Amino acid sequence: MQQDECIRVLIADDDQHILECYRTAFGDREVDESTQTLSTLEAELFESPTDSLARRRFDVVACSQGRDAISLAAEATRTGKPFDVVIHDVRKPPGIDGVEAGSRIRQLDPEVEIVFVTGFSDVTMSELARRVPPPVKLHYFNKPLSFMQLAESVADMVRAG
Amino acid sequence: MSVTLLAVIASMGLLSYLVLSTTVAPAFDNLEYASAEKNIVRVENAIQNDLQNLSAIVGDWAPWDDAHAFARGENPGFPKSNLDLPTMDNLAVDLLTIYDVDGKVLWCHLLRGGQKADYESLGILNSDNPQSAALIYHTKLDSRVEGLVQTALGPMQLSSQPIITSNKTGPIAGTMLMGRFFNAETKAALEERTEVSLTWHVLGDSALDAALEEEIVSATPHSFTYSVTDREVHAFGVLSDLYGKPMMILQANTPRQISALGNKTVDGALLFLLGAGLVVAVVTWFLLRRIIVLPLERLANHITGIRESGDLSLRLNESRGDELGALASEFDKMTLEVHDARRQLLDQSFKAGKADTAAEVLHNIRNAMTPLINGIDRLSKNFRFASGLRVQQATEELANAACQADRRDKLLQYIASAFSHIQKTSEDAINDLEVASRQARQVEAILSDQERYANVAPVIENLELQAIVEEAALVIPHKDQPGVVVDVEEGLDHFYVRAHRVGLVQVLGNLILNAYESIERAKCDSGTIRVTASHEIIDGEAMVRLTVSDSGSGFAEDVRNNMFQRGFSSKEGHQRGLGLHWCANSLSNMGGRIAAESKGPGLGAAFHVLLPAGGVGRRADGPRASEKTLARQSSPAGFRAGDAAADDIKEGLPSEYATG
Repeated sequence: MQQDECIRVLIADDDQHILECYRTAFGDREVDESTQTLSTLEAELFESPTDSLARRRFDVVACSQGRDAISLAAEATRTGKPFDVVIHDVRKPPGIDGVEAGSRIRQLDPEVEIVFVTGFSDVTMSELARRVPPPVKLHYFNKPLSFMQLAESVADMVRAG
Repeated sequence: MSVTLLAVIASMGLLSYLVLSTTVAPAFDNLEYASAEKNIVRVENAIQNDLQNLSAIVGDWAPWDDAHAFARGENPGFPKSNLDLPTMDNLAVDLLTIYDVDGKVLWCHLLRGGQKADYESLGILNSDNPQSAALIYHTKLDSRVEGLVQTALGPMQLSSQPIITSNKTGPIAGTMLMGRFFNAETKAALEERTEVSLTWHVLGDSALDAALEEEIVSATPHSFTYSVTDREVHAFGVLSDLYGKPMMILQANTPRQISALGNKTVDGALLFLLGAGLVVAVVTWFLLRRIIVLPLERLANHITGIRESGDLSLRLNESRGDELGALASEFDKMTLEVHDARRQLLDQSFKAGKADTAAEVLHNIRNAMTPLINGIDRLSKNFRFASGLRVQQATEELANAACQADRRDKLLQYIASAFSHIQKTSEDAINDLEVASRQARQVEAILSDQERYANVAPVIENLELQAIVEEAALVIPHKDQPGVVVDVEEGLDHFYVRAHRVGLVQVLGNLILNAYESIERAKCDSGTIRVTASHEIIDGEAMVRLTVSDSGSGFAEDVRNNMFQRGFSSKEGHQRGLGLHWCANSLSNMGGRIAAESKGPGLGAAFHVLLPAGGVGRRADGPRASEKTLARQSSPAGFRAGDAAADDIKEGLPSEYATG
């Protein structure tokens, strides 16, 4: 991926409020015109760098169920626009859990970075690594966390990958 | 069971009656018929003997030279010297007649009722009567005619032989005929000799039913006819006359003594069987009740007791060596296994429930906090951006008249956009704060939900203290190392409490761990943790006091006043225990209380736990140690027990007994 391209992120979480937080943190919402104008004017008048508020770095696709995530990942792979990162909750009732979904997505796309974010998981890291290998492309974060920081981590892991 | 036994006895009685009445009673009836048959045969034989006796007498008189000479008319004095009435009386004959060879009556005597009678009145011995010829005329020297004849005066036995010389040579000089009436005297004599009650009936003039008479007469020889009344069996036989024609019916009357004996035998046997059956039934009932029913009742009551109380620590402890004893023993083993399995299940359920609850709460609270944190994060970022806007700098440039017109326009545009952005940031801030508020309420709702479940009463079991204390003492990190000794009072296995097992283990484990750490803090080379128990009655309720005392660092009075409050700890740094506040709450949920005492810093401490006393199962290993232990343990120094402790609680001493 080139430096100026958007990072394609697939996010799966059964909580709509959390999905909204993801969208906000990953800059999925359209930057309004006044903010864009303000950022441009400031750069022009005061020769300051363009702020990240006005920069869109992620292309976010969100869903609430593991099966939807698998379908979206399969479609993206088939159309030649695979996701760079898949972010999953571990527990997603009533469908299949995040680990199972991550395992199937890994089979579809061996290169994708898979990030598990959960409030609680009774699945150990070693079990996760066994079911969703390789460990180097597997990441784990505990809620609550700052999704803005998560966005930075995602950007870093994509750059490093 | 009693009804069943009575039914068995009744069935046995009915069966016995049927068997006896169909086998034994008919056998007696047959014996009776056989006896009647013998009687009639005996009578017939007696009559035959009488006839032979009569023939013998005739056979003695007919071959006699004197009689032969008289029959030939040569000895006219013969009757006078030999045939007088005393002679007939001696011979027991009623008729004596001498005929000459022509059938003329030479001499005749007929006696009837002891008086002489005209022999013509017999109506059968006239020489011109063809039926009499066989009696009057003999052609052979050894001729002999005898039999019954129905005369006009009644039935009579007659015997006739030819009169010959004493050396039994001829010629035949005439006929000698003797006879006896078949009368009441004859009947009486026969009855006396045969010991048979006798009745006879002359054919054509009998009192018998015509059909019966016909049946008797037509019976084949050697077969007998019977008629039966309530009192007698009548056996009938037929007597034929001299000419072979049926003349009389003999009736032997046999009293029904044999069948009466048979009936008595059957009745006696029935009574015996019923009596024996009743005795056997009573003995069987008693033995069944003692050997089977009562043990089964005890087992049933035991099972009912377990079902109603849910107390699986109850034991039957049957010492019998039979199958029921084995059943009771196996039931005890099964109950023990179920008890252990239930305890393990409860433990696992408790832990699993705790783990599930913790996981669920963690998951839900963290999820709820995520939008809250991210909202605040975004708020912070937006405000940080807003605070970095150079509105003041732009305003100052605008105030400068030297500012270029095109820059002035852009500065004005910048200021307008900045205010627009600040307004939008404020609107976003309102939304983010609403989200934060909503998420905070969600967290509060989750916690309230947990509080509701926290009020669910724990499962209360009947627990033996010894096992609980031993399990709780495992909490000590280096229990086996010398230095700190856990001294559990002997006989603790006789104390039972009603409590939640896992909770009590955790409470006691916490107290023992506290004691261990207190000894550690006192920096002593050695120390003792002593666990004792006693029974007490508080407000009329049986309680068990469990005391965990130590020789550790103790505490001051002001510490005692705060030690059961939430978050209190006398320990420095890392806390290993659950906290006394938690212990007090747990004990309160079990209906118990906790109190602490110490004589001061460095003087050790004691923690007293009061719990409702449990029931002791029927154990074979001795009685519960109650009053003895109470007397020994009830008054520790500086501490009041029993009702005094209850009074303290009533008076509201806050740290005497904490109830959470």
